[in-house]
Amino acid sequence: MRNPRKTIINILVHAFLAVLAFIWLLPIFWIILTSFRKEKGSYVNSFFPKSYTFDNYIKLFTNRNVLNFPQMFANTLIIAVCTCLISTFFVLSVSYCMSRLRFRFRKTYMNMAMILTLFPGFMSMIAVYYILKAIGLSEGSMIRVALILIYSAGSGLGFYIAKGFFDTIPKSIDEAAIIDGATRWQIFTKVTMPLSKPIIIYTVLTSFIGPWVDFIFAKVICRANSKYFTVAIGLWNMLQKEYIHDWYTCFAAGAVCVSIPIAVLFIFMQRYYVEGMAGAVKG
Amino acid sequence: MKKKVLAMFLTGLMTVSALAGCGSKEETKPAAEGATESASEESASEESAQTPADEKITATITVWGPQEDQDDANGNWLKTECEAFAAEHADWDLTFEYGVCSEGDAKTNVATDPTAAADVYMFANDQIPDLLAAGGIAELGGTAVENIKASNSETMVNTVTYDGGVYGVPFTSNTWFMYYDKSVFTEDDVKSLDTMLEKGVVAFPLSNSWYIASFYVGNGCTLFGADGTDEAAGFDFSGDKAVAVTDYLVDLAANPNFRNDADGLGIAGLGDGSVSAIFSGSWDYDAVKEALGDNMGIAAAPTFKVGGTDAQMKAFAGSKAIGVNPNSKNPQVAVALASYLGSADAQKAHLEMRNILPTDSSIDVAGNDLATAVQDVLAKASTVQPLVSTMGQYWTPAQSMGDEIVNGTVTHDNAADKTEAMNTAMNSASVE
Repeated sequence: MRNPRKTIINILVHAFLAVLAFIWLLPIFWIILTSFRKEKGSYVNSFFPKSYTFDNYIKLFTNRNVLNFPQMFANTLIIAVCTCLISTFFVLSVSYCMSRLRFRFRKTYMNMAMILTLFPGFMSMIAVYYILKAIGLSEGSMIRVALILIYSAGSGLGFYIAKGFFDTIPKSIDEAAIIDGATRWQIFTKVTMPLSKPIIIYTVLTSFIGPWVDFIFAKVICRANSKYFTVAIGLWNMLQKEYIHDWYTCFAAGAVCVSIPIAVLFIFMQRYYVEGMAGAVKG
Repeated sequence: MKKKVLAMFLTGLMTVSALAGCGSKEETKPAAEGATESASEESASEESAQTPADEKITATITVWGPQEDQDDANGNWLKTECEAFAAEHADWDLTFEYGVCSEGDAKTNVATDPTAAADVYMFANDQIPDLLAAGGIAELGGTAVENIKASNSETMVNTVTYDGGVYGVPFTSNTWFMYYDKSVFTEDDVKSLDTMLEKGVVAFPLSNSWYIASFYVGNGCTLFGADGTDEAAGFDFSGDKAVAVTDYLVDLAANPNFRNDADGLGIAGLGDGSVSAIFSGSWDYDAVKEALGDNMGIAAAPTFKVGGTDAQMKAFAGSKAIGVNPNSKNPQVAVALASYLGSADAQKAHLEMRNILPTDSSIDVAGNDLATAVQDVLAKASTVQPLVSTMGQYWTPAQSMGDEIVNGTVTHDNAADKTEAMNTAMNSASVE
């Protein structure tokens, strides 16, 4: 099997990929290094910090007077978890309906959804703000509810990928279930869902990351209510001219912390990334 | 066919709703009319605030200020002062709600929805035209203005005056100056930039348009006429006086002892000794103190030699001020509170708690090196940052000039062309 030419090509390809991987990982490596840097300020003249410390993380979570990071973290977590649950349900339900049910408005609705999703969501943010204000969700603790609403309410529109996945599940399975006397809801929960783990995980991940990293809507809705700031606003504040010198390394620490829940969620979910389709239909 | 018609219809629908989205922004404009209205109300109510027996009012007043002013570790200036204000007006039953909004952020947060913004808030003076356009700031009148004029220098009053009206109670100046290392430069050295460059490394934010103007203005270029209020006069960055400065800056950027201060290079350099002088403002005081310790010197920006004569660099000077929302339900309370927060006593407390320099001339700042330097800057090395709505056209062309000087695109050969191009860009309304 040894083919010298193939070996050389493989070496070249792997070397090329290694270089790409290195370039890709460099910024992440740098932000982790910076989060442990002892020297303050944003400018450094060496790649590796001169001395290391864990104080940036300690300061981030204990110095709560100026920028209350733990609270921002909690706010964001509450919002992201709620949004994740609601919008996953929305997306999967809509996708299932679009894939399996036939009704008159279906095609029209799909076209409309396609056009609507072409526009960025923040286009309407001022209008959304005024609507929320009109129904009294723009002040106090209702801000969290407002943000959850914003992130999850429109999520049903993003059904295209999940619908594409459901379309690949043979209809004959559904028909078999119907013959056995299952309702649509039972087919959805007992048949389709167990077969669609990869797409459920994908939906959960994207609907969690959306609110977790969003800045624009959070900034417009929270305005000056510092109690309800999310991590994105907090991290942005750390880079303002009043704070940047003292908080730059904490910003890096914050950036590392922000990536942890996403990483945990992914690692936890990854176990379910298995082919659910094999051997479902015989013949 | 049907599909196409439908798609067209939907596209049309989207466009309409997109326009409607913009429309909601426009809606805030009529509120600007309310500004003058409530301003007259305020001047009337201001008198009642002065009479010893206040009418009975129960009100919730929302106040926005930067987070540091609400930090218990620094004494929570905002809360302390607001409570002192409430104690002084026994007949008013006031509840305060505090929000966090730094002075630089006021424009964004207030303009989003002026009706839901704070009654009293702090802002940087260059935002007045925008705040006014959004209907988020009230013109002050009556005793409030008399007090401002009586206790502040004319420069400071000018920073909050727009189209003849006073729009805020100034509480601190907002400008920049020079921090230097006393072990490298003597007090005589720091009077001339050229002398400094011979003796040590100087970092200047050349690619920041807030700073670069100092050179051009120093050599006679003007923004909106001599006093910065004549909008029709536009920018005058043309002719030999401007080209001479561009030439000087090309040499400056090439000087081995010069660093362009970007991304925090200056402060880091002061710390490790690779830079001996930087240009910045009071917000960097603590960081510089930490880097230089007892060797820290503060001075106004130096002169520079252009065309054989010494020209004084002139920093943009502005102020941070306390504004009142015209949509406030209790305008007389809001105006009284704004005046109180900008009063001499409150400024003194601010100085003690956070080293925020006062503007009130009755406060003695002798012994505070930062305050003396700033007074010096305001007296001889500054120009009022123009409060004109077309000022927005200045920033981008000036910044590209700075960038191009730093990266070497601008040379002695094309300095004249590039300067003229910058002047044209600033004066053409299409660039915003």
